[in-house]
Amino acid sequence: MKRTVLALAAAAALAVSGCAANANSNSNSGAEDAGDTLVAAYSEGGKTLDPAEANDVTSDTFVVAAYDQLVTYARTEDGGKPKAKTDQIVPMLAESWKASANNTSYTFKLRADAKFQDGAPVTADAVVKSFDHIKASSSASFLYKMAGIAKVTKVDEQNVKIDLTAPNHLFLQILPMYSFSIIDMDKVAQNGGPKWLATNTAGSGPYKITKWDPSTEAAMARNDSYWGDKPKLRQVNVKFIAEASNRVQLLKKGEVGLALEVPPKDVQSLKAADGVTIDSRAGNKILFFAMNNQIKPFDDPRIRQAVSYAIPYDKLLNDVMKGQASPMKSSVASSTPGFSDAGYTYSHDLDKARALLAQAGLPQGFSFDFTLGSGFDDWNDDAVLIQAELAKIGVKMNIKKMARPQFLEALETKKVQSYITRWTSFVNDPGYHLGLLLTSQGSSNYANFSDPVVDKAWQQASTEPDVAKRNKLYDAAQQEINTKAPWAYLYEYNIVVAHRAGLDGYTSYPDGIVRFFQLSVTK
Amino acid sequence: MNLVLRRVAAMLPALIGVVVCIFVLTRVLPGDPARTLAGDQADPSVVAKIRTDMGLDQPLHLQLVRYFTDLLHGNLGFAWHTGHSVASDFASRLPATVELALVALLIALLAGIPLGVISATRRDRPVDHAGRVFSLLGASMPLFWLGLMVIVVFYNKLGWAPAPLGRVAEGINPPTGITGLYLVDSLLTGDFVAFRSALSHIIWPALCLATGSTAIIARMTRSAMLEVIGQDYVRTAVSKGLKPSVVTLKHALRNAAPVIVTISGLQFGQLMGGAVITETVFTWPGIGSYVVQSVLATDYAPVQAFTLVAAVVYLAANLVVDLVNARLDPRIADA
Repeated sequence: MKRTVLALAAAAALAVSGCAANANSNSNSGAEDAGDTLVAAYSEGGKTLDPAEANDVTSDTFVVAAYDQLVTYARTEDGGKPKAKTDQIVPMLAESWKASANNTSYTFKLRADAKFQDGAPVTADAVVKSFDHIKASSSASFLYKMAGIAKVTKVDEQNVKIDLTAPNHLFLQILPMYSFSIIDMDKVAQNGGPKWLATNTAGSGPYKITKWDPSTEAAMARNDSYWGDKPKLRQVNVKFIAEASNRVQLLKKGEVGLALEVPPKDVQSLKAADGVTIDSRAGNKILFFAMNNQIKPFDDPRIRQAVSYAIPYDKLLNDVMKGQASPMKSSVASSTPGFSDAGYTYSHDLDKARALLAQAGLPQGFSFDFTLGSGFDDWNDDAVLIQAELAKIGVKMNIKKMARPQFLEALETKKVQSYITRWTSFVNDPGYHLGLLLTSQGSSNYANFSDPVVDKAWQQASTEPDVAKRNKLYDAAQQEINTKAPWAYLYEYNIVVAHRAGLDGYTSYPDGIVRFFQLSVTK
Repeated sequence: MNLVLRRVAAMLPALIGVVVCIFVLTRVLPGDPARTLAGDQADPSVVAKIRTDMGLDQPLHLQLVRYFTDLLHGNLGFAWHTGHSVASDFASRLPATVELALVALLIALLAGIPLGVISATRRDRPVDHAGRVFSLLGASMPLFWLGLMVIVVFYNKLGWAPAPLGRVAEGINPPTGITGLYLVDSLLTGDFVAFRSALSHIIWPALCLATGSTAIIARMTRSAMLEVIGQDYVRTAVSKGLKPSVVTLKHALRNAAPVIVTISGLQFGQLMGGAVITETVFTWPGIGSYVVQSVLATDYAPVQAFTLVAAVVYLAANLVVDLVNARLDPRIADA
């Protein structure tokens, strides 16, 4: 016993003398000026750093920080606040591009001065190999297909030619996405192949990801040799804080400079807090109540319309979302270019709902199963309020709760009778949106809506190069959908970003991703 | 030594049982990890491809055989949602959890045992009643609520606690790693800046985590003490004219010790489980918050590994309890 004690004491003494310079012996450690550092609070830590596999907001955020794309979205002002203009595409790594006469081939000219973060130039080869990586990926390969890319070839060191299978207006809309980042694939090959990209980056972007631990925090440092405008913030630390109330308190105390996913009920209290600015603006994330068009009685459009008249829209917007959402009047979000609310006539009108039920031969009402996916507080509140309204017209809604993974799996069977779900169109275009959600072939058309008018208009629009003609077709499709009411529209979410006063440059994008290189802190 | 071997041998079937159970349970429950990984806009062919990559298209028994083969090679699997091997994820996080659980256990012992002893020696007096109320509250308060309240009151309102953002304050370097336990490492390297920061960060989650265990240890100590205090030899000791403190600590507490040791060992296992909640609330970078992320992402391997580690910790705690008790009371070793 005595010997052990002695040995321990000796070890301790040795350790103390041997490590005179400890981790904090530099007195100025941590004393860096806070002015060029931002701490951000996110709810989740992301799943991957691979641009072609990323599909959640946190992962996407790191990808747009570390990588550049060939082209990007323009920015504009909206009431003095910067916002993205997604229907205008501007140069990024490609300084210019030319489309062939029949719009089936594009040639991109790369900037001569663009370099990856470790100094290698961004070449045509890198672009070709990056597109190969996207094509072979699990997550982004469907976007590659949707863009209609047939072949990517190097013309010379600075020029890349992309051939399409047919004219496709989505092509230029898809290219600015994080999925289509240009990667230093030679560096990837040196490190053993694409799996390395899941936890490492090889981009030319404005920030280097210096730390990424999905259950706690990540850190980014400015890429000081960035080819473009130098980012103002030297350092961005992102903390992953699952508990919403903690994010709110940390922001109030100034411990973090920016917080995402602030619950609507906390927005009011934050607005009143000193030094906090709430940026709450329309996005393109929608929430809808889907009714399975192949399961009785929802196979009858009149029944679906009746449900649409029974939704207590104002309560959902004001009591559940506390004003952090706006009315949804088409299957396409109102901020998406090409939106149309033609044929939308619904309001909270129980008499109309009763009349429609009677016309459809169900004056006594009916009973149906509703599946509620977990994970979002507002869905729960919405479901209960809708249930109460439907009860007033004799319709019994049986709410079945399901954990999110099970919920997603159940939807895929296309046999869920009714549910609510949200949707963000990563490509801010009705073609993408309607194609996935409401055409007969749509892979996310879990409510089995099938309508020849919609299918035909969508098909024609997908190869129509003229914007005005295309929007006419989308207009017709939306009108048909609004009338047939495969969904009852609940609301469009605002994108809410809460930050400390003095943080400038935040630009609202429909994808909800914060571009840190646009931010600066003035105090 | 014989005792140790016997106990370890008895642990093996239990561990294998735990591994098989959790393996089958995670896979039989609905919820497709490939779908979660692919995101909700990907089409079914993408999901099928991921499923094949993960080996989830194989029959369950083949997956199980592969898992055991990997396990015997010391491979705990791959965490899809972090892109790292589970072993390396655990290596970087386990020390944080162990440190939190140890500090909590220390608090629970230092507070629980004296509380129990005092309650027993002053039975049915105000102190005893106060102890009873505390125990009732402590044992029944939901941990996540307690954690949130501590943050609201001590961080937000009073400003005594640091921001619940990890193990040391922003801008302070973690101590040079030796054991991975920040308090120990910072003392060993004489890094008092880090020690102070680490202590102020760990004390709040540890207090929350310790509350339930303190209550239970106090109650068990009290009842064990009461049983012993009623025995003849204690009356003899008192009538010999020994000081009350000597009677309580030397004669009574010593004989109540096996019960207290047993319950404390079980509490350590409980603390590891409670860490899952505490870590999430305090953004503590341990395996608790990690396993919550894994569950949400339907990431099987880390969940299985956590269950395995938790089972090992539980069994190891039992073993330590047996050994300590054998030392306290040689009769137990032969049982």
